[in-house]
Amino acid sequence: MLLWLSVGIVGFCLLPWYVLEDGLWSFEWLFDGYPFNTDYAPAAFLLTQGEKLWLSPIPLFLLFPLVSQVFKHSTAQRSNVLIMVGVAGIAWMVMQGLGIGLRGWNFEALGQLFGPLEARQFGMGFGALFVFATFLFFLSTGIAGRGAVNGDVFVVGAIGLVIAVVTVFIFFPIVQMLSSAVRDNDGVYSLTIFAEKFFQNKFWGLGCIQGGTRCGVAWNSLFLAVLVGFLTTLLGLVFALVATRSGLKRGNFLRAMTVLPIITPPFVIGLAIILLFGLSGSVTKLVADVLDLQPTRWVYGLPGIVIAQLLSFTPIAFLVMIGVVEGVSPAMEEAAQTLRASRWQTFKTVTLPLIRPGLANAFLLGFIESMADFGNPLVLGGNYDVLSTEIFFAIVGAQNDQGMAAVLAIALLIFTLSAFYVQRRWLGKKSYTTKTGKGDSGMHVTMPKRVLLPCYLVAAVWTLFTATVYGMILYGGFVEMWGLNNTLTFKHYITAFGVGFNEFGIHFKGSAWDSFFTTLKIAATAAPLTAMLGLLTAWLLVRQNFAGKNAFEFGTMLSFAIPGTVIGVSYILAFNVPPLELTGTGAILVISFIFRNMPVGVRAGIASMSQLDKSLDEASLTLGASTWKTFTRIILPLMRPAILAALVFSFVRAMTAISAVIFLVSAEYNMATSYIIGRVENNDYGIAIAYSSVLIVVMLAVVALMQFLVNRNGQGSRFAQSRTNW
Amino acid sequence: MSKKQPLLLLVSGLLIAALSAPVHSAEKLTYYCSAQEEWCQLMATGFEEATGIKVSMTRKSSGETLAQIKAEASNPKGDIWWGGTGDPHLQAAEEGLSEEYLSPLRDEQHDWAIKQAESAGNQTIGIYSGALGYGYNEEVLKSNNLPVPECWKDLTKAEYKGHVQMANPNSSGTAYTTLATIVQLFGEDEGFEFMKALHKNINQYTKSGSAPIKAAARGENTIGIVFMHDAVAQAVAGFPIKVVAPCEGTGYEIGGMTIIKDGRNPDSARKFYDWALTADVQSRALEVDSFQVMSNKAAKSSPMAPDLDSIKLIDYDFAKYGSSDERKRLLKKWDDEVSVLPQ
Amino acid sequence: MTIQQTRSKAASVEFKHVTKRYGKEITAVDDVSLHVHAGELVTLLGPSGCGKTTTLRMIAGLEMVTSGHITIGDTDVTKLPATDRDVAMVFQSYALFPHMSVMDNVAYGLRINKLKKDDVRVRANRGLELVGLKGYGDRLPSELSGGQQQRVAVARALVLEPQVLLFDEPLSNLDAKLRRQVREDIRDIQTGLGLTVVYVTHDQEEALAVSDRIIVMNNASIAQIGTPRQLYDAPKDEFVADFIGEANLMDGQIESVENEIATVSVDSIRFELPAADHTTGAIRVAIRPGRIQILPENSPNAMAGNVLKVTYAGRHMEYQVATAVGELFVVSDVDSDYVEGQAVGVGFETKGPVLLKV
Repeated sequence: MLLWLSVGIVGFCLLPWYVLEDGLWSFEWLFDGYPFNTDYAPAAFLLTQGEKLWLSPIPLFLLFPLVSQVFKHSTAQRSNVLIMVGVAGIAWMVMQGLGIGLRGWNFEALGQLFGPLEARQFGMGFGALFVFATFLFFLSTGIAGRGAVNGDVFVVGAIGLVIAVVTVFIFFPIVQMLSSAVRDNDGVYSLTIFAEKFFQNKFWGLGCIQGGTRCGVAWNSLFLAVLVGFLTTLLGLVFALVATRSGLKRGNFLRAMTVLPIITPPFVIGLAIILLFGLSGSVTKLVADVLDLQPTRWVYGLPGIVIAQLLSFTPIAFLVMIGVVEGVSPAMEEAAQTLRASRWQTFKTVTLPLIRPGLANAFLLGFIESMADFGNPLVLGGNYDVLSTEIFFAIVGAQNDQGMAAVLAIALLIFTLSAFYVQRRWLGKKSYTTKTGKGDSGMHVTMPKRVLLPCYLVAAVWTLFTATVYGMILYGGFVEMWGLNNTLTFKHYITAFGVGFNEFGIHFKGSAWDSFFTTLKIAATAAPLTAMLGLLTAWLLVRQNFAGKNAFEFGTMLSFAIPGTVIGVSYILAFNVPPLELTGTGAILVISFIFRNMPVGVRAGIASMSQLDKSLDEASLTLGASTWKTFTRIILPLMRPAILAALVFSFVRAMTAISAVIFLVSAEYNMATSYIIGRVENNDYGIAIAYSSVLIVVMLAVVALMQFLVNRNGQGSRFAQSRTNW
Repeated sequence: MSKKQPLLLLVSGLLIAALSAPVHSAEKLTYYCSAQEEWCQLMATGFEEATGIKVSMTRKSSGETLAQIKAEASNPKGDIWWGGTGDPHLQAAEEGLSEEYLSPLRDEQHDWAIKQAESAGNQTIGIYSGALGYGYNEEVLKSNNLPVPECWKDLTKAEYKGHVQMANPNSSGTAYTTLATIVQLFGEDEGFEFMKALHKNINQYTKSGSAPIKAAARGENTIGIVFMHDAVAQAVAGFPIKVVAPCEGTGYEIGGMTIIKDGRNPDSARKFYDWALTADVQSRALEVDSFQVMSNKAAKSSPMAPDLDSIKLIDYDFAKYGSSDERKRLLKKWDDEVSVLPQ
Repeated sequence: MTIQQTRSKAASVEFKHVTKRYGKEITAVDDVSLHVHAGELVTLLGPSGCGKTTTLRMIAGLEMVTSGHITIGDTDVTKLPATDRDVAMVFQSYALFPHMSVMDNVAYGLRINKLKKDDVRVRANRGLELVGLKGYGDRLPSELSGGQQQRVAVARALVLEPQVLLFDEPLSNLDAKLRRQVREDIRDIQTGLGLTVVYVTHDQEEALAVSDRIIVMNNASIAQIGTPRQLYDAPKDEFVADFIGEANLMDGQIESVENEIATVSVDSIRFELPAADHTTGAIRVAIRPGRIQILPENSPNAMAGNVLKVTYAGRHMEYQVATAVGELFVVSDVDSDYVEGQAVGVGFETKGPVLLKV
C-alpha cells in the first residue's frame, strides 16, 4: 500500500509528467533543464509554477487514502475510500487527457463552458503512467477489500489490468474509428453522411449479376470469403482424412506443411503465382505454347486471389480438421461396423456427422482469414476489389478519406463479427468430443476407396503445387531477373544482406539490415508480452470466477475478429494525439502485435490450463502460497508448452504481419514486411524474394528450436493444437 | 499479498516504452520521402554525410505522406517532405500544413520550379519535373501482333482491348495527373469521352502510379500509362520497354519539396531544403536511375532522359488542378461516369 | 515437530448458520451449524452432492460463504482467503506438483512461509519420515505408487503443523487393501499428534472406522451428528438409518407412552423403547439385519415369516424373509440352517429396533 503510494508520488513529483519528444527511454531530460524546463518537469513542479493547473486534484486523490490511516478506519471503510479514490483518479486523468489537447480544449463545448484556454498539453509520459498504475492499484485493493474474488488483490489487479489495456488498446481505437465514420469532413456528426457512404453503389452494387459491370466491394469480399472458406474446409478435410485414415504414414509430413503459412511473409505467394500463372508466367506460356492459345491475364482477379488464399489458409483448416477427425473415437466406428455397416456407410453415417461441427469451425476460420487478408488481393486482385484493400487505399489514396475508410472498416467488421458470433454460438452449444481421455483403443477405419482415391489425388496435386511455389520462392532469390534473365547470382542477397568490415568492426551495409534488426527487436519484445498477457487472461478465464466474466472473455477475443487493416487505421486515429501519443514509435508496433495475437495466447493458455487439475492451485493456496506465487510457481512451470507455443506464434506473426503494420511503420521503425512491399512496388522482385527467403529460414529455425526445446522437456508439443483452438 | 509483482507488469510496460527511444543526437531531421527508395536513401545518407545531421527517413507514396502529415497535423512529427508529384505538395500548402520558405538558391532554379513555388505562396518548390506518357513492352506487343501506338487516341482503339493499364486516379497521383491532362488537352466533355473509351481497353486500374509500366516490364501487361521517366527507368534496367510521348501533347508533373509546418527541427529542415536545391546534389539523381529533369539549371541530365524541349507540353494549370476541390470533383465524376461502365 | 507443539496448535472449527449458494438457483450448503473440537477427527459423510465437499472447502477458504460465520480457534476466518488460513488439505487427486521432486513438494509450504533453509530441510525430512517415505525425497511424484503419492500429500500437509488438517476423500483412488492400511496410518498420526482433522468421505465403513464423530449430510444440510456407535445404533431418521449400514425399515404403531417409555407394536411384536419426542400413533421403525432373530414358527413375541432366499456369505448367513410388514433382510449365525420356503417366526433383539422421525 505505502509502496504503491510512493510509486504514485514518485510519478507525480519526480518523473516528467509529459511524454518526451525523444521518447520515453531517453534520459536527456535529467541533464537538460530538469526540473524547470516545462517540457521535462514533473507535475508537482508544473503546479508550483502555476502551470497545467488541471493536474492539481491528482495529488489530493493520491494522498487521500492516508485519511484512513489517520482515522483508523475499519477495513470496509478503508476499501470504500480506496475505490472512491481510484475511480476518481482514473476518471480525472482520462477526462483531462481527452479534454485538453495540443491546442487547448478538444471540444468546443468545453470552451464555451469554461472560456478559452491558452495552455496546451502533450501526451502523457512516465509520471502519468506511474500515477495511473497507482490509481489502478488503489481501485483493485479497494474492490478486493470488499470481498470480491475472495478478496484477492492480485486477481482483482490482474483483471483490472487486462480490462484497462483492452479498453485502451482495443475499444478506444475502435470507438474513435467508428466516430470518424459518422462525421463529415468538417467534423460535424451526421448519420445521413454515414448512411450515404455506407449504402453507396460502390459497396453494394449488383452489377455482376445484372451483367456487364462489377459488383460492389462488399459483395466481392463476401463471395470471396465464402468461396475460400468452403474450399479450404474441403481441402482441410481431405488432408485430415489422408493423414489419419489412409493407412499411410504421411501425417507428419502434412503436419510439417502446416507451419508454412505462418512463416511465409505476405506477397511471396502472390509473387510466385504471378511468376507461374501471370501473362508471362512459366505455366501460362507453356500451356499457351502447347495448346497454341493467346496467353491471358486470367489469374488477375478472383482466380488468383482464390489460389493464393487456398495455398495460405488450407493448412489452417487442416489443423482444425485433423483435431476433429482424430477426436472421433475409433470405438464409434467399430461399433457401427459390428452393426453391419459397410465402410462407406460407416463413413457417411457416423464419421461425417461427428465432424460436422469441425467443418463449420474450419469454414468460419477460412472465412475470417480471407476477409482480413490484405497481401494477396493487393498483388493479384486485378480489378476485383475487396474491402481490405479498399480500406487501405481510402487512407493512402489521393482521395485520402478517413471517414470512408472507417465506413468500409465497419462493413468488414460486421461481416467478421457475425461470423465470429455464429462460431461462438455453435461451439457454445455443441459438444462433439467422443474421446474420453483414456481407454480408447482400436484403429481408425480406413476410408472406402471411392473416397480415398479422390483424396489422394487432391492432396498430391496440392502438395506438388505448394512445393513448386516454395521451391520457386527460394530459387527466385538467386536469379538475376526472374523470367527474363535466369543467370544465377547472389546479387540480391548481397544488396540486402551485405556485410562489410570497417574500422569499427563488422558493418552491416546491406539495405535490409535496418528493417531486419528492427523486426527482430519488435518481434522479440512483443512475443513475451503477448504470451504473458494471453496466459494471464487465460488463467483468469479458466480459474477465476468474477462478475462479467463472459463480457470479459468476449472483449479479449474480439480483436481476433478485427482485421489488421482496421486495427491499423484505428490506431492511427486514436494514438496520434494526446493523451497517448504513440505513432511513429516502436511501441505502437509492439502494442498492435500484442493485441492482434493475444487471442491466440489466450486460446493456447485455456487449452493447456484446462488440462491442469484445479486442485494443484488449491493445494498451493492451502499451503499458504498467495495467488501470485501459485501462478508463478505452479501454473507457469506446468504450462511451459503453451508458453512456448504462444511465444513462437506471436514472434512469427510479428515478423510476417502486414495489414496493421503498413499504417504504423515509421522512418525509425520500419518492418521487414513493409520493406518488402517497397521492393515489390519497385519491381525488385529479386530482393523481395531473397529477403522473404531469409525470413522464412529464420522463422523455420525459430520454430524448430522451440519444437526441440518443448519435445526435449518431454511434455509434447502443443504448438499445433494451440492454433486450432482459435 | 505480494506487492512487488504488479510492479513487474508495470516495468514490462515501460519496456515497450524503451522502443520509442531514438538515438541521442544533437541535430536531427525527420524526412518524409515520396520518390523511389534508392533516391530517398541517397538523399538521406548524402545529407547525413554532408552535414552530420542525423536523418530518419520514411518512404511513402505522396498520397500516403499527405495523409500522414494531415493526420499528424495537430502534432507534426516530420520536418521535411521531399519528392513525389507536386499536387499533394500544393494541397498541403493549401491546407496550411506547410511552412513558407525562400531559399537563397532560388535563382539557380528553372522557371517552372519557381512558378510552382509562387503558386503556393512559397510553401513548396519544384525540384524535378517529368512528362506524362506511356510505355509498351515490345515483345508482348509483337507476340500479339499489335501496331505501335503513338498518340493518346490510339489507346482507345479496339485492338488494344485488355492491353492497357493505368493506375486508379483515386489512389495514384500519376493517374490523377493523367486525368487532369486529358481534361486539359481535350476539354472536359471530350476528355471524359476519351476516358470512357479508354476504360473499355483497360485491363486493370492499379493502385500505384508506376505499377502499369512495371507490370509491362515483366510481361504482365502490354501498355502502361505512366510518367516517361518511370518507363525509361524500366528500359534502363534491361526490360524490353519503349517509351512513347503522345502525339497530341501531354501534361507533366513537378516533383515538390515542402517544409512541414510546426516541425520539431525547423533549422535542419531549412538546411536540407537548401542542400537539395544545389546542382551537385541534383546531379546525383542519375546514380539511382532517376531520369527526371532537375530543377537546378546546372544539374546534369542523362542522355536517356526524355528531353522536355522535344515533347509537346501543355500548359498545365497546377493551381487549378492541384486544388482539392477540383480534384474531388473530377475524381467523383470519374468514379460516377467512367469506373462504373462495363468493360 | 514435537507432539506437544502440534497439540498446542490444533484448533476447533465452528460453523454458525453457514449457507453457500451458487448463483440464485443452487444451494450447496443450507444453514449449517457445527462444531469440531480441537484434536478431534470428524468425518463429513454423505452421498455425492450432499454438500460435504463444499463444507470442507469452506473451511479451507477455497469457497467463500454466502452467509454465516466460520471460526477456527478464536479467529473469525469468514472473509480470509485460503492463503491466510492456517489449514492444510489433502486432495482426492493428491495434487502433487508434477514438476517438483517429492522433497520440493513437501517443502513447498515451508518455503512459501519463508522458513529458514535449515528448518525447511529438517522439517520436510521429518514429515517424510513420519509417513514412512524417508529416502524418497529426490524422486518425482510420477515415480511413486498411488499409496506413496498419497502419503507424500499427507506429509506435505502435515509439515506446516496446521491448526486444522483437511482430507477430501483421500482414499478413493487406492485399492481396498491399501485403503484399510492408509486409513489406519492416518488415524495413528492424528491421534499421535493430537491434530484436528476434518475428513470427507462417502464410504460409511471408512467413516465408522476412523472417526471420533461423524457428521452425516444430506441435501445440503446436516442429517445427524454423533459418534459412530450413536449413528449406527440410534439413527435419527430413515436417511441416516439407511445410509449408515443396512437397515430394515417398517411401519409400526406407538400404542401408549407412559413415563417417557413408549410401547410399540410391529405386526404382532411388541416392545418398549424410550419415547423421546414421539407420541401415540403410526411410526417408522428401523432395525439392523443382525438384530433380527429368526425363530421357530409361532414363537412368542414374533411375527410370522416365510424364508424367500438363503445366501451363504462365508462368515454368516443372509436371509430374505417375507413378513406382513414387508421383506426383511436378516443376517444370522453361519450355523443356522433355514431353507427356502420354510415358515418361521421373526423376532427383534432387545436393543434392536429404533424409532425414526416420520
